[in-house]
Amino acid sequence: MFRLMLTTALAALPLYASAQEITVGAANVSSYLDPGRDHSNVGSQFYYNSFDTLIDRDHSKLDPEWTPALATSWELIEPTVMELKLREGVTFHNGEEMTADDVVFSLNRMMQATFPPYVVRAKDRLANFPKAEKVDDYTVRIHAAREEPLWETLISLQQVMIIPEDYTKALTGDPDVAEDSDYEAFALAPVGTGPYRVAEFQPGEKLVWERFDDFWGEQAPLRRVNVVQISETASRMTALRTGEADIITNIAPDQLSLIERDPELKTAGSATALFHVMIMNQNHPKLEDPRIRQAMSLAIDRDALNEALWLGKAVVPSTHTMAEMGALHQPDLVTFEYDPERARALLDEAGYDGFEITFDTASSYYTNGLLAAQAITQMWADGGLNGKVVVSDTWTGGSPDLMARNWSNPMYFADPFGSFGVMWAPEGPSQSEGRFNTDEAYADSWERFRYSTDVETRKAAYRELMERVKEDPAVLPLYRPFESWGMKKSIDWAPMPGHIPYVLDFRAGNITVAGS
Amino acid sequence: MTAIADPARPRRKIGKTDPIQKLAILIGVSLFAAAILAPVIVPFDPLGQSLLSRLRPPLGFERYSAGHFAGTDELGRDVLSRSLYGLRLTLGLAFAGALIGLLIGGTLGLVAGLRRGWVEDTIMALVDMQIAIPFTLVALLILSLMGSDLTVLVLVLGIAGWEQYARIVRAEVRRLTTLPFIEAAWTAGAGPIYTAWRHVLPNLVSPLVVQFTLALSNIVILESTLSFLGLGVQPPQPSLGSMVGLGRDYMPTAPWIVLVPAALIVALTFSVQIFGDWLRDRADVRLRDR
Repeated sequence: MFRLMLTTALAALPLYASAQEITVGAANVSSYLDPGRDHSNVGSQFYYNSFDTLIDRDHSKLDPEWTPALATSWELIEPTVMELKLREGVTFHNGEEMTADDVVFSLNRMMQATFPPYVVRAKDRLANFPKAEKVDDYTVRIHAAREEPLWETLISLQQVMIIPEDYTKALTGDPDVAEDSDYEAFALAPVGTGPYRVAEFQPGEKLVWERFDDFWGEQAPLRRVNVVQISETASRMTALRTGEADIITNIAPDQLSLIERDPELKTAGSATALFHVMIMNQNHPKLEDPRIRQAMSLAIDRDALNEALWLGKAVVPSTHTMAEMGALHQPDLVTFEYDPERARALLDEAGYDGFEITFDTASSYYTNGLLAAQAITQMWADGGLNGKVVVSDTWTGGSPDLMARNWSNPMYFADPFGSFGVMWAPEGPSQSEGRFNTDEAYADSWERFRYSTDVETRKAAYRELMERVKEDPAVLPLYRPFESWGMKKSIDWAPMPGHIPYVLDFRAGNITVAGS
Repeated sequence: MTAIADPARPRRKIGKTDPIQKLAILIGVSLFAAAILAPVIVPFDPLGQSLLSRLRPPLGFERYSAGHFAGTDELGRDVLSRSLYGLRLTLGLAFAGALIGLLIGGTLGLVAGLRRGWVEDTIMALVDMQIAIPFTLVALLILSLMGSDLTVLVLVLGIAGWEQYARIVRAEVRRLTTLPFIEAAWTAGAGPIYTAWRHVLPNLVSPLVVQFTLALSNIVILESTLSFLGLGVQPPQPSLGSMVGLGRDYMPTAPWIVLVPAALIVALTFSVQIFGDWLRDRADVRLRDR
């Protein structure tokens, strides 16, 4: 009997071991890993496994339900000051214990940023927070300049995940000073407090996670995860079918049937909290008349794009809004429509003479991007506009010659400020690239939208902003793309509604691998 | 590709054309005719999309969409119409490229053969450089730096094979200038330009035509490679290579998008190569005594 058990156990052993190790074939692997400076769709895949925020949320739910993470409790001791009690006994992957010093260091490297990549991120989302300070070893305070309607939301951002102070400062140069080169070095050898430590990182090629046994929370379900970059869709599909990869990312809807036909494989997907958008240059000499840009927008049948390219699985919005935004979700507001007759009428009024309008797209960056670009110029032709697709892998959004191109507006956090707000704020990235103008009235609506603590006031102000975008368009949200992952049937994983787009969450309870 | 006949190969009787050659020439002629007549014979606008009938298979398969004999592509465009337009564009580019190569290479070869000295050394050094560097790499570099519009593409295809012309022309010129009739022309007081034009060039026509034909199929391949890699002809304009390139994601689900243009590339290069060989065999009459 004992012998039988032993052989059974032995036979099961390699299976058990392999069930704890998986390989992910990713379309992209980042060129650096630092949650603070990164806000790309590529990077967002990786941070949640290795880093923690002070406050977390229940990611299985669409509506925010805040949960303790590195902070065990928090309260506003003044309208502009939040005090947080830190969890004791948390260790970083390098063995250091986490204290208030690390937390203050992590927050202030962003809030009082001097390293240029941090400055950009701090400005677009953390501008209301001048500093964090230590009260004692396990208590910190965060100060806001003005009353903040989005405290928990902003304290749970990827950009304010906690990193170790001593380790980072000692990476290069003076071990007591945080130099820019320390942050550069950190981005290649990242250390956090999350359930998986980064065991190996080859920028743009490979990332290996290993279970971190001293994690403060529930142990990670996987012993080891290899993330390998496989850029070509066809190669990723092959890797999955041959068993070389257990999960693959970024599958276009056209490819889903191929995976689903295979009895060993399945797919999981969702309409990602991100808009593929068309941007238009308000300051291009030929497009200064808003009626031409309105026509460019009105001529696009977004439902047809969804039906044809996304098999109807994408979500076409009536305005720049998402269900994730909870109380601020405004689906009743309609600012973007399909109306080719009106497009033609506007072009006549504006005296459009048939000049060529270029639509720039990268060849493969956005799923279906090139297809959508070609379909859009065809729709423009039907609406009386002379469009031309220009394929280029360089970003043209900052060029004065830009007429129109594709882009994405991800939801960086669950609020209109975290999506439209980050991209289209006064002095934000769109304005500083010279293709979007704001005036005092816009800034005034913006102020009320951003800082009012009354939800109804914020909603009303956001409607004002949307009306402005409708009258003098610089952006058209096309749809929320339906992004899919392919995987073996033995794996139970799916993207969760409470995350920002593309997060590969392999924490306890969020992935299971059958096989023992 | 030189014009020297392989001695190990049994020499064909001149004037006799074997069945494979006949077949190849027939295919070649039909492809050229199809390319020229494309605007008249294609059933659909090659750029006309029909989003609701995407990825329909060719005649004889389930879900076939009437009239689209070779199926439709990822935007519901007719694959046959696109392939024929692609063939037309690919052939047009190849002709323009081969002509530019002929002009550059021929001129430089002629100058090198007639002038000798440092001029010849420089030109032949350039030829050696061109041979030593893998040209696809150079083409990729130029196209990614200059952007890929049709003019740049044609120029790149033009400089792809000039060195072969230069070598052939130089060798022929060197041989010809030792022959008595050239000597006679020199002695009679003919200048170098007159000699080149009146006496040397007419003797170069047949080796150049052969080389032109062979270069054509190489350029078709190069153009297809560049367009496959996304650096050649840009969408929505179809070329055979770009159709294969953009269709490769659909290979497992909608293989016809790739197979039709790929078959045309194979048929085209095959027939042009065989035709070039056939032409070379005939040109041998004059070259046999070298």
